[in-house]
Amino acid sequence: MTSVIERVGHRIPGSAVALFCVAATCPLAFTAPAPGSIRGRVTVSDYRVTVEPRPMPSSLGGTHAPRPVELRPAVVYLESAPRGAFERDDARATMDQRNETFVPHVLAITVGTTVDFPNSDVIFHNVFSLSKAKTFDLGRYARGKSKSVRFDRPGVVQVFCDIHSHMSAYILVFSHRYFSVTDAEGRYALEGVPSGAYTVVVWHEGAVRETRAVIVPATGNAAVADFAIR
Amino acid sequence: MRSLTRAGAAVWLAVVLHLYGVRPASAQGRPASPFSVAGGRVLFAGDLSITVGAPDPGWFTYTDYETSSLRRVRAGLAVEARITSDLSALFEARGETGRGVEPYAWYLRYRPWKGLVNLQAGRIPPVFGAYARRSYPQNNPLIGDPLLYQYLTALRPDAVPATVDDLLAMRARGWLVRYPVGDAEWRNGVPPIAASRWGTGVQALVAGQRLEGAVSVTLGSLSRPLARGPIRAPQVAGRVSWKPVVGLVVGISGSRSEFLDRDLIEILPALVRDHPYRQRAVGFDGECSWGYWLVRGEFVASGWSVPDLEAPPIRGPLRARGGYIEARRRVGPRLYVAARADRLAFSTVEGSRGSRTWDADVSRLELGAGTTLRRGLLLKGSYLYHQRGGGRVREDHLWAAQLLWWF
Repeated sequence: MTSVIERVGHRIPGSAVALFCVAATCPLAFTAPAPGSIRGRVTVSDYRVTVEPRPMPSSLGGTHAPRPVELRPAVVYLESAPRGAFERDDARATMDQRNETFVPHVLAITVGTTVDFPNSDVIFHNVFSLSKAKTFDLGRYARGKSKSVRFDRPGVVQVFCDIHSHMSAYILVFSHRYFSVTDAEGRYALEGVPSGAYTVVVWHEGAVRETRAVIVPATGNAAVADFAIR
Repeated sequence: MRSLTRAGAAVWLAVVLHLYGVRPASAQGRPASPFSVAGGRVLFAGDLSITVGAPDPGWFTYTDYETSSLRRVRAGLAVEARITSDLSALFEARGETGRGVEPYAWYLRYRPWKGLVNLQAGRIPPVFGAYARRSYPQNNPLIGDPLLYQYLTALRPDAVPATVDDLLAMRARGWLVRYPVGDAEWRNGVPPIAASRWGTGVQALVAGQRLEGAVSVTLGSLSRPLARGPIRAPQVAGRVSWKPVVGLVVGISGSRSEFLDRDLIEILPALVRDHPYRQRAVGFDGECSWGYWLVRGEFVASGWSVPDLEAPPIRGPLRARGGYIEARRRVGPRLYVAARADRLAFSTVEGSRGSRTWDADVSRLELGAGTTLRRGLLLKGSYLYHQRGGGRVREDHLWAAQLLWWF
């Protein structure tokens, strides 16, 4: 399913322009599908959530800031990626700790990405995960400090704070690049998808919520798939 | 049997609430947010712990005559109902082997001015010290409680010795004590500070970023908090804590209360009846954490005044000093090791056979480890070494294991 243009562009960069020009003048160029995209909107009923700590009858009380609102987007991805799309990435990403929440609450990365966990609060946090895809414990550290974790295996990594049990986040580690985190309006876009039939998956808060078969046309136009999850 | 049924009901309720809150494919068990109803205005939390341990013939770990902290099942359910943004109603029930289900806490919390001032009224958490507010299994890296908060001394609030010799006869046997004045039944003595019960009253806290001050007026005493009861005057307690840097908290506490029951005082001779029989205590506590370390410590000095009835008399207040230091080191995402060194010592009195401490000094060393099986499910193991300067059993080696589930 890997297109000619994609193959040329990714694997033979030195001759890519020449080969593309040749291909564009021959009949094969008209049959070679242009990369398309899958776009749409995911409507999530609990997108904005007020983070509530556990009830603590043992507390004497204390100052309280307004309880933070956490944005909980969905992640849309291809269940099976096109051939040739499996690449490691040495990128970096950041998941901040702010107002006793992880920001962003959902992070989608490719295998090989290193995620920084800075602490922007005036209190200690202790980031850890017991997920099969990555198990780690960064210990306690103060404001202005940061620790990093490299994610080498695909999977869902749920992240917590050992001190504040109401803090949680998800890191989705993909072995391909066909994924998209929805924006504030729920929009997503999977770009550069070769034409063909795919299964699009919508994930939200720890679970696959919906799957749908989508056909990306050979014309290079975008396939549209909207979802509504409760 | 009835208490077991109640405990079973509490456990069942906790299980149902937990299961209701779990999403089918969450990565590590339960979700981070507490279970809630009424649009998030009513929140629930809970815990269930099952502790098994070696028999304790020296009664070092007992919290009353029947219950060892190393051999018990405990379930707790906490509820917070947010009435307005500043006003909440809090409730906590606990079911425990040998005690049945009790309303541990129920009070109103009012937090005006962004929480700079906190007012709590009802059956409230204790202001004094640090451990009593974090005596939950999930906040205790080990299984045993510090001696200060658990070890049963030879003192009772409803019965008193007539002479020093009566007192010394009960030395090192606080789990079952009887004195000639007052309630004639055999009952357990009280610890210097009771962590297993809270008192009824009011509490005010002024909270700042680095400095906090709290004061409370409650029924009962540190040794025996009461929901309602036969005490002539309430307990007044206060605590000031300071956070000089992130990760370090130090606190100083004080408490003064009537210790003896009103019914007991009424049967005392007229000459000694009007005297105040108080428990006074002062305490220092600290907590320091960094990286994978968490270190806590506490030191408390307490004194109880008891009536001077017959010769040889008990002169002056009976005093106890105790303290502990504990440390926890996380050695991996799933595993930690912990240790606590503990000591409780008593003042000397003059009996007809010479001077002795009024109760036997006791020490404990607890070494343990815990592993997180999945989030909210913890397995702990502990070894406890005890040494005591009196009594039938003076040295003991114990072990215990605890399975803890919380949500």
